[in-house]
Amino acid sequence: MRFVVRRLLLFVAALFGLSVVVFAALRILPGDVASIMAGVNAPPEKAAQLREQLGLNRPLAIQYLDWMGALLHGDFGTSILTGRSVTSLVASRASITFPLIILGLLIALAVGLPLGCAAVLARSARVRAAFHVLAIIGGAVPALWSGLLLILLFGKGTGLVGILPSQGFPMDGWTTPGRALLALILPALSVGIIVGASLMRYTRAVLGDLANSGYIDMARSCGMTRTQAVLRVGLRLATPQLVSVIGLTFASMITGVMVIENLFALPGIGNGLVTDVGNRDLIAVQSELFLLAAFFLGVGLVVDVLHRILDPRLKSADTVSEVAA
Amino acid sequence: MSQDNGAHAESGATGATTDASLASRAKNPKKNGPKWWLISLIAVIVAVAVVIGVTLAYAKKDNGTASGNGAAQASTVTIGLKLAPTNLDIRNTAGSALDQILIGNVYEGIVARDSKNQVTPAIASSWEESKDGLTYTFHLNKNMVFSNGDTLDAEDVAWSINELIAKQYHDADALEAVSKVEAKDADTVVITLKTPNSNLLWTLTGRAGLVFDKDAKYDLKTQAVGSGPYTVAKFVENDSITLKANEKYWGKNKAKTPTIVVKYLADDNAAVNALKSGDVQVLAPITENLAEPFTSDPSKYVVKAGDGTDKYVLGFNNASGSKLADKRIRQAIRYAINHDELIASRGGADKALGGPIPSLDPGYEDLTDLYPYDQDKAKSLMAAVGYSEDKPLELTLTYANIYGTELGDQLRSQLKPIGIDLKVNVVEFSTWLQDVYTNHDFDISLVDHNESHDFYTWTDPTYYFGYDNKDVQKLYAEGIAATTDKERDAKFAEAAKLISEDAPADWLFNYRITTATAKGVEGFPFDLNQTVLPLYNVTYTK
Repeated sequence: MRFVVRRLLLFVAALFGLSVVVFAALRILPGDVASIMAGVNAPPEKAAQLREQLGLNRPLAIQYLDWMGALLHGDFGTSILTGRSVTSLVASRASITFPLIILGLLIALAVGLPLGCAAVLARSARVRAAFHVLAIIGGAVPALWSGLLLILLFGKGTGLVGILPSQGFPMDGWTTPGRALLALILPALSVGIIVGASLMRYTRAVLGDLANSGYIDMARSCGMTRTQAVLRVGLRLATPQLVSVIGLTFASMITGVMVIENLFALPGIGNGLVTDVGNRDLIAVQSELFLLAAFFLGVGLVVDVLHRILDPRLKSADTVSEVAA
Repeated sequence: MSQDNGAHAESGATGATTDASLASRAKNPKKNGPKWWLISLIAVIVAVAVVIGVTLAYAKKDNGTASGNGAAQASTVTIGLKLAPTNLDIRNTAGSALDQILIGNVYEGIVARDSKNQVTPAIASSWEESKDGLTYTFHLNKNMVFSNGDTLDAEDVAWSINELIAKQYHDADALEAVSKVEAKDADTVVITLKTPNSNLLWTLTGRAGLVFDKDAKYDLKTQAVGSGPYTVAKFVENDSITLKANEKYWGKNKAKTPTIVVKYLADDNAAVNALKSGDVQVLAPITENLAEPFTSDPSKYVVKAGDGTDKYVLGFNNASGSKLADKRIRQAIRYAINHDELIASRGGADKALGGPIPSLDPGYEDLTDLYPYDQDKAKSLMAAVGYSEDKPLELTLTYANIYGTELGDQLRSQLKPIGIDLKVNVVEFSTWLQDVYTNHDFDISLVDHNESHDFYTWTDPTYYFGYDNKDVQKLYAEGIAATTDKERDAKFAEAAKLISEDAPADWLFNYRITTATAKGVEGFPFDLNQTVLPLYNVTYTK
């Protein structure tokens, strides 16, 4: 319990520090939204007038306090350029990015876990080496390239077996779930294969270490085969570590899939963030970054707590230290 | 990673003996063996089968509708464009993306322009100009309505223009000469000027002349209420716009296709894929070098380049104190650039441009002979200032990343032999706006100045070029004050020639938009389609 409270306090402190860093860093960027809105044919007074109207001339401290004050009320502000609330912007983008990540992660798990296990279990050194090469290749392929390859293979109109849509998200969004899901298959595959390769390497490393440990020897002396011992005992022991890796992978994929979103013309979170930064729509960007960071930290928190639950040794270590204190 | 590998190889080797002995003692080695991989194999097969099944079902459905329609006209046409608007606020937000999609489709102006950049009737069916050029009388169409049902009359027209001037909306500076705008009666509007302005009518074809509903209240950033043949049914910023035919449309440009979807495809390869896969039926623009699969398949696609007013301006910093204040260096650069080579490397559709006025603007003259490609002349000019290939002048070229890196590299290698060491600095557009446009902190800049009638930028010494030539300013003022088009064109042409001779910039080329459409698309304009894109005529027959 104490652990959770401590982590929560840290979480809040981190968010606060982060808000300062995000706010300051964005103000250092050259250019501003007013000159973007005014363009290259308007006289300079136009930009100045817009700056005044939008309140960009106010002292930075006041702008920061305004933003923080609104944040505390749960108001993430309104994007200057699009005129939409940041909450609705992020929500509509997340409705594409999150399904994409979850689908990608499922594919990654389906690929990475079995292959990782197989790499440890394989008896012949040659097969193990082959798995090793596979993992390295999978990890070295840029998502952009694998995406292009998939489009060339399966993209409707361009592919050899052109069966899947490769451009954009249906206009009606998730009200046509079949189409929406179809639109995400190729992007999710391109992400999933690469993330799967890295999961495979993690699984292989963690499980490989455990396979040489006393736990497995113990299990085998109780009569299990090596395969049984690794899968039943080893995998279970590896779970806490794997959960951490998967949790953090999930969080980092939110912006990591940006390249894929761009390639497949999906208006997701990463894609939107880049556009907003390019347009210097700072109110939107700072709130978006804040939300992302909060989510990232939140996932970290959940992973930490899960880790404790899954690994009783940590809990007992905790109670020992608490008793000692 | 290699460390890992070593450890495993070792463990495999040492484990082999214990493996064998332990395996022989295992209770039931084979019973549980095949289960896990069998189950996962089945799961994978089922998953693949489901995916293929669903896909095929959808593919069939698509085919079904296609064959069912036969040669019928499609009810939806999807168009792929490149630069996306971030909002719909055409009063405050710059960028031709808004003009392109909203003017003539959703909003209408008091007058309009056609694909040859000529003024045509719109809200006003006719107009007269007084002899002194100070009074314009517009006669409006009758029975006009906005898409929300409100009537559109002279009140709305006068209010819209007066608001623009009072609130200093985008392009208000183009109406500086206007002294008042009045609704004389329900269908007559009179605009009175302080001084004659030969550009007035053309200016009114753009944002300055748009007519808004004075009684409607809506969020201009996310909605649009106009009187044009289409209404905005859905807008997803930076992604797409869905236009639906305006049921209340009053005029003769009635929409031929009920729904038009505009997809914004920033990535060139993604755009090409979208056309190939049939996700879009039109791509404007298409990068010429990527158009090959379409040009080579004329049975399925139409690819054509159209005229436009995009000027790729290699602007020099002319301000005193700049490295380029010496005219000889500027001239040397113009002689050293091989424009034909640049154009050829881009696919060959673009047109050479020797001065500030493109062919669709008033006062155009072919000025490409003023600075023909001549390396020797360029070298001797540079030598006169004291520079050579061994002792080069260092200059920086700053431009926005939207134009790609090739142009910078080409210019760098073309200027090297004459004694210029060009550093290419590709930056974000915002950074360019800050450093070059606002702070004038640059040597050479490159921008696609796509606006029509933007010749005035050469008459404003505070514009980022810092070009200050009293003769040019005088000629331009005379051209603006001219009361006949002929007189205006002559003055502009004379001024343009003076500018080109002074070499305050080099005009790399007049970018011509290449548009690709699927066979069966009719009525899509090829000329000027990045700023004026009337869609009412567009149809697609499969």
